[in-house]
Amino acid sequence: MKKSALTKTTDTLFTPQKAKIIRAVQATQTEKHFTLALANKEKFQFMPGQILEVSLFGFGEIPIGIASSPTRENTFDIVVRTVGRVSAAVNKLDKGDHLFIRGPLGKGFPLDKLINNNVLIVAGGIGLCPTRSLIQYILDRRTDFKTFTLFYGTKTPEQQMFLDDLKTWRLSKDVHFFETVDVPNASWQGHAGLITKLFKQTNISSNTRVVLCGPPVMFKFVIFELKKLGIIDQNIFLDLERRMKCGVGKCGHCQINNKYVCTDGPVFALSEIRFLEEAL
Amino acid sequence: MNHHYITLKDFNLFLTKLVNQKIVYGPVARKNKFVFDLISSPEQLRLDYDVTILPPKKIFFPPKQHLLHFDGESYKDCLDPKEQIIMGVHNYDIKAIDQLDFLFKEKNPDDHYLLNRRKTTIIGSNIQTIAARSFWGSAGAGVEPKGHDGFLTKLKDGFVFETRTKKAENLVKFAKFIKAKKTQVEQAAQINTAVKKKCPAKLAYSSAEIAIKTRLAFKNNELWERLSKDCFSCGSCNTTCATCYCFDVQDSWNLDQKSGFRTRYWDSCMTVEFAKTSLGGGAVHNFRALRRERFRHRVMRKLVYLNDKLGGPACVGCGRCATACTADIADPVNIVKEIMEA
Repeated sequence: MKKSALTKTTDTLFTPQKAKIIRAVQATQTEKHFTLALANKEKFQFMPGQILEVSLFGFGEIPIGIASSPTRENTFDIVVRTVGRVSAAVNKLDKGDHLFIRGPLGKGFPLDKLINNNVLIVAGGIGLCPTRSLIQYILDRRTDFKTFTLFYGTKTPEQQMFLDDLKTWRLSKDVHFFETVDVPNASWQGHAGLITKLFKQTNISSNTRVVLCGPPVMFKFVIFELKKLGIIDQNIFLDLERRMKCGVGKCGHCQINNKYVCTDGPVFALSEIRFLEEAL
Repeated sequence: MNHHYITLKDFNLFLTKLVNQKIVYGPVARKNKFVFDLISSPEQLRLDYDVTILPPKKIFFPPKQHLLHFDGESYKDCLDPKEQIIMGVHNYDIKAIDQLDFLFKEKNPDDHYLLNRRKTTIIGSNIQTIAARSFWGSAGAGVEPKGHDGFLTKLKDGFVFETRTKKAENLVKFAKFIKAKKTQVEQAAQINTAVKKKCPAKLAYSSAEIAIKTRLAFKNNELWERLSKDCFSCGSCNTTCATCYCFDVQDSWNLDQKSGFRTRYWDSCMTVEFAKTSLGGGAVHNFRALRRERFRHRVMRKLVYLNDKLGGPACVGCGRCATACTADIADPVNIVKEIMEA
């Protein structure tokens, strides 16, 4: 990310960049979807699955996964859930406002291991946000991948996000899209039940590369299903969430045993973390 | 580089001159304990100290350090390294500083640490008094202290001053140092070897043995529960530790509610909040919710996780955590004993 401290006189690990909000949409009751561009007009370079430290001066910084693919325009997306002081302040911003970012940070999804393979993405809740960077990437470079299946589960239909994307994916021939809600409402026509139930709806081959992102509780149950299908740990990739305060492998908050989620991850192969007791 | 000699009388003149021209820190008495503080006159420097309450890292990695100043949407980095000298650093702290240097430099070099560090001259001194809870004689015994600029060893009538860098060599100009005689250099070496043997060998196992057994004990919940059951999760063991470097980053406004600072503060993995994440709607997930999980994490960090990178444990045996712990459960000597006998 940066050169030796000896040669560098301007930017430090903690120097942010200014970004302008190009578009702001209230995605759900608690989530806001921002499209951003660097204020200096340069293209923001990143890989799917990388993260940002998003900040507002006086409020602080929060780690947020990038929710769009670098194969798209000059802009990049983030989705912020109103949770605490920083996210609440960010979610009051609108088109034309500025915020600050550091990054891209961490390693993204292992594209080299996904290309030329069958890919399944399992996204639970706001786990769809960081995985959307990969979904868009695969759809934009569709011929680089074999079959592409996407599972998306939320607690309720109201929590579904990226509604325009969902409409496109439902009709698309490029992705086998399966969705479910834990608790349906009266107008919900689709599948109801936990995300693990979707495995019965389709045939996932044992050589599929699987990417998981969702609440901590989801991982264990999905991995259980994947094991039944005979998918090996090396082919299962987990996008983990932790309290990444510095994002550069120093502050210690995101540590799982000896690994820093911010720099060693946030995406890990299950084989890397299977025996790290605090990982899942 | 060189070995110099200075008489006790001239050493006082040296210090007087030095503190008048430079920022000099060193161990000073504070009631019945010692702390690293600014030295303004030679008699304040207590090279006969046993251990300080906080380690000397606080001078270049302060408990509260501004990273960024902001004003509206404009901002600038806060980098303001000062030339400073730390006198009288004991070998265990020298080892700890060397570890911190490595950890802040690796992968993503941290300028807020490194620039301060680069402007700091570290002058070690031989240990004259052994602190009751220290065990540096047997903690990471194979790791030699390095990374310091110079080292003072007190002989009967004066000091042998070993200069290891140009920064230390430049200090020689401040006073009447003469070339140390071979016998004086040998005497200094003997003193430093002898003191190692005087420090009680409280750890009866090698670092490698401890690391292996400790890692294997990871899932021994009963053990960690027993060791941590009296823990207040106060973090004193972290804040007094010579090698702890975890921090939190917080913004704060000035009264104008427009300008302010982004600041890092020492943080502590033993506190409940440390690994807690918010899920929204008041829901939280704490990745180390239990006392025993936090306690285990600290022990693993000190005895296991960093050993490969550092060439030894991230515990230097200063005994500060043992002294600071209200419940007296933080002493690595007792923890290691429990683990090894489990």
